[in-house]
Amino acid sequence: MNADFQQTPNNLCPYCSAAFETFDGLKAHVVAVHKTEPLPKPDGLIQLTVNGQSHKLLVAPEWTLYQVIHDKLGLTGVKMFCDRGACGSCTVIMDGRPILSCMTLAIECDGKTIETAEGIAEAGHPLIDSYVNHHTMQCGYCTPGFITTAKALLDRNPEPNESEIMQALAGNLCRCGTYPQHPKAVLEAARTLKEEHSK
Amino acid sequence: MTEKKLGPYQTLKQEGTYKIGYDKPTVDFKQIGKRGVRRYDGFEKASGKALYTRDVNLPGMLYAKVLSSPYARARMLRLDTGKAEKYPGVRAVLRYDDPAINGQELTGSIAGTTRMAPESAGWAMLPVKTILSDQAIFEGQMVGVAIAADTEQIASEALKLVKVEWEEQPFILDKEKALDSDAPKLISGADSNKIADEDRELTEQGDVEKGFQEAEEIIEFTARRDAHLWAGAELPSVVARWSGDKLEMWVHEQQPYLSKLILAEQLNIPMNKIHTHSLYQGCSFGERCNPSNWSQNGINVLAVLLAKKADRPVKLVLNRAEKFYGFSGDLMVSQFKVGARRDGTITAVQMNNLFANYMCTTGVEHLVENTKIPNLRCEGTTVFVNKPPAWWNRCEQLPNVFCQTLVFDHIADALGMDPTEVALLNDGCEGRDKSYLEDFQRENGFEPRDSLKECIAAGKKAIGWDENWHPPGTRQLPNGRMHGMAFTWSHDWDDTRGTGSAAVLIQNDGSVSIIAQHSDVGVNPWTTYMQIVADELGVRYEDIEINPFDLNVGFALMSPDGSCNLGSNGYVVKKAARKARRMLLDLAADKFDLPAEALDIEDSTVFEKANPDNRMPVKDVVKMAVPMLNAVGIWTEPPVLDWAWHTQGLWGMALETGRPRMCRQANFIEVEVDTETGEVCVTRVVNVNDVGKAISPETVEGQMYGGTYMGLGRALAEEMVWDPATGVLLNRNLLDYKYATMLDYPASDNIYIETGLGHGPYGSTGIGENTATMIPALLGPAVYNAIGKRIDDFPITPNKVLKALGKI
Ligand code: FES
Ligand code: FES
Repeated sequence: MNADFQQTPNNLCPYCSAAFETFDGLKAHVVAVHKTEPLPKPDGLIQLTVNGQSHKLLVAPEWTLYQVIHDKLGLTGVKMFCDRGACGSCTVIMDGRPILSCMTLAIECDGKTIETAEGIAEAGHPLIDSYVNHHTMQCGYCTPGFITTAKALLDRNPEPNESEIMQALAGNLCRCGTYPQHPKAVLEAARTLKEEHSK
Repeated sequence: MTEKKLGPYQTLKQEGTYKIGYDKPTVDFKQIGKRGVRRYDGFEKASGKALYTRDVNLPGMLYAKVLSSPYARARMLRLDTGKAEKYPGVRAVLRYDDPAINGQELTGSIAGTTRMAPESAGWAMLPVKTILSDQAIFEGQMVGVAIAADTEQIASEALKLVKVEWEEQPFILDKEKALDSDAPKLISGADSNKIADEDRELTEQGDVEKGFQEAEEIIEFTARRDAHLWAGAELPSVVARWSGDKLEMWVHEQQPYLSKLILAEQLNIPMNKIHTHSLYQGCSFGERCNPSNWSQNGINVLAVLLAKKADRPVKLVLNRAEKFYGFSGDLMVSQFKVGARRDGTITAVQMNNLFANYMCTTGVEHLVENTKIPNLRCEGTTVFVNKPPAWWNRCEQLPNVFCQTLVFDHIADALGMDPTEVALLNDGCEGRDKSYLEDFQRENGFEPRDSLKECIAAGKKAIGWDENWHPPGTRQLPNGRMHGMAFTWSHDWDDTRGTGSAAVLIQNDGSVSIIAQHSDVGVNPWTTYMQIVADELGVRYEDIEINPFDLNVGFALMSPDGSCNLGSNGYVVKKAARKARRMLLDLAADKFDLPAEALDIEDSTVFEKANPDNRMPVKDVVKMAVPMLNAVGIWTEPPVLDWAWHTQGLWGMALETGRPRMCRQANFIEVEVDTETGEVCVTRVVNVNDVGKAISPETVEGQMYGGTYMGLGRALAEEMVWDPATGVLLNRNLLDYKYATMLDYPASDNIYIETGLGHGPYGSTGIGENTATMIPALLGPAVYNAIGKRIDDFPITPNKVLKALGKI
């Protein structure tokens, strides 16, 4: 971890140094006791909910969301492939939408909720198994980016047809050429989800 | 006559050397050849847990960046790193004139000695191959200085503070002008840009003059191919960490063993002090299999030296633009003369091939190896241009496929014959006809089959060749586009070769480990090794594991190149499993109080053959067979472990080692050409391969459809564009260097047949390289069949189609 990066500072009141367990507690205190709002917030402090876990992070203005998720939080499912918005490999789901984490500045993501392939796997989403069963990976470098893109699709359209799947995944590059397997894997996952739902 | 008794070493060597036709199946296939075997790497890769070199972050790790040349050819007159050195966060600066590196050249290692023969790779041919030089010979070359800093951003900012005074020098980009007397010479004072390559300058078989005299039809034509490159997913990366005199490395390479060997030789670090990790590899396609290039040997040396200087771990990752540091070995222009009799028998082929920066292969080799054409002559010339080095790119056979496909398509067209018939008529081996192959099959116990005939028949049926193929430029579709079809064929990928070693260990709980380093580039190799060990050892697939990320285990499997991944390693793990099985049965004999021959293993259980109810799980047999244990009440036994080594053929020496290629493939394509826009729309691709034996059917198919996308992209869209005025490569990114997306081309139809004729284990052949190599050249004939005009200038982009049609 770099010297210029530190975890959440203690929730100390800037006026009276009272300590609080949560940031929200501190906020309520400042409003109630010191009658001031907004609460002064350290430059670069952001709050992210990643795969259901809340993180408070101090980020430099130039850091991308990829850097924060991959390098700082250690979630290796976010992969840089093209390095500039051309491949979809660094896709994460932010507030329900697939976005490119290499093209997003972390500092603009305060308060956002993010999902990565790791979270999708931990939640036992059927996409993971259907991807494995259909050999929807070769070198595997692009695979988590497809998984997140496909998950975002299934979230908003639980029964996509083949062409909708292909349109949704068209922005993801795979040099190994695993393309024909993706629609099959996503369709299977959609079927499994439906079965699970109707149980 | 008494046979000389072999010592232990010679026995191992003899057991490990490939012998033709000896690999007849000895076990029932349960896992081998089965569909639905769970992929070893599937969950890790889908869930993002799989680690790649680029993912490695160590405590205290620094990030390195290297200066690259902004000019196609220039010399540094002055390099001022003073400001950069003082920049906060900069921890080490390594200049080209640093005593640790001064003048040190990239080095290589294959071909007999630990030194790479100079003709073995593109980098070795270049006039400048200093790791960090003050002389640039192509735009983007790593030059001058490398900097390690606390963050990547700081390293990049520090590089901007480096002041360089450049002397720009004249450069040459066009290979066809490189030999002109007034062309700037890459080597100052040299009188030519020609690269001497004696081995490849002339290939001759028979007498072409005689062949042309016998011909009833003679054609001549010229074809061109432009550069493209690997463009793999994971960027070139390395992490180096010193601990005293011990060096720990994380490398993104196909051949970590070779890179360790090179590093040891180059920096004088004993090999036993280098501990190398090779994690998952984000693609390679040969890109990460030239351990001697700037992108591998170069960055490894820089990271190691910077780590030493800073006394901190150093990570060096090239960025996407910097990854355009080389290209395929088929930047070429070819002149052909082909003679044939009216019945389709080709009597002579003469070709002149001009290559830039490296001649991977001559271009004529497939005509030698795959055909009975008696008279061949190929002259090859290689020239220097101010572009990066060229080398193999899935795969080095591209020039050979290019030449064979075009020769056959042009001559079939001139004779007015169906190209599939011309292929079958000229099929053979090194100038000999099919009876040679039939005799060979008989003598070596192979099934007598003609797999080219079988592949062609299957492919024709699948694509509807007999109903749809037509003379060039004669079929317009209702949508206004012109319809075209084409076909090509080869036998080349029965040329497996390579050396590997591995051990099989039965753990104390009965689970089984395959022990060896291996680099995975995505071809699902480990699943196949586990399938083989399961069947050969008699244990459940689920009980087997491989953890091949560490070279320190001492064993290393053959790198995934030369189509010899499984071709060599299948033998290695098979032999190791059989040897471990012998050990296990020897131990079990004691427990059963029976001779080992009376026992068998199935489903992870040892049983008496004559009385299958007398059985014991493997885990109980090995209960006390441990590598170590502290005081216990009963005696321990040694662990059940054995290892094997295998070497498989020599590259390019098929006939010398008595190994003609016997497995064939045929590729068919159907296109529609829009004559208004020049767009070539691919509507169908049918790949048919005789794979000998498919160990993992899904993996075979994966290589076939995956290779199709790469092949089509290379034929139609992928090209590297240099600015003629500045020598700068203009499309160093994946927006402008276009390769296939899901929507660009249809999924191919993939058919494989299994004749068991291959030289690989269980009669298998390579499948990873061929489709991507076969498809590109096929587009020329397909577009010709559609529009009736030849565009022998690849890639076939819309502007070339419109030009051929006279529209621009
Ligand atoms: S790495 Fe972000 S889009 Fe390619
Ligand atoms: S599986 Fe290798 S890039 Fe997609």
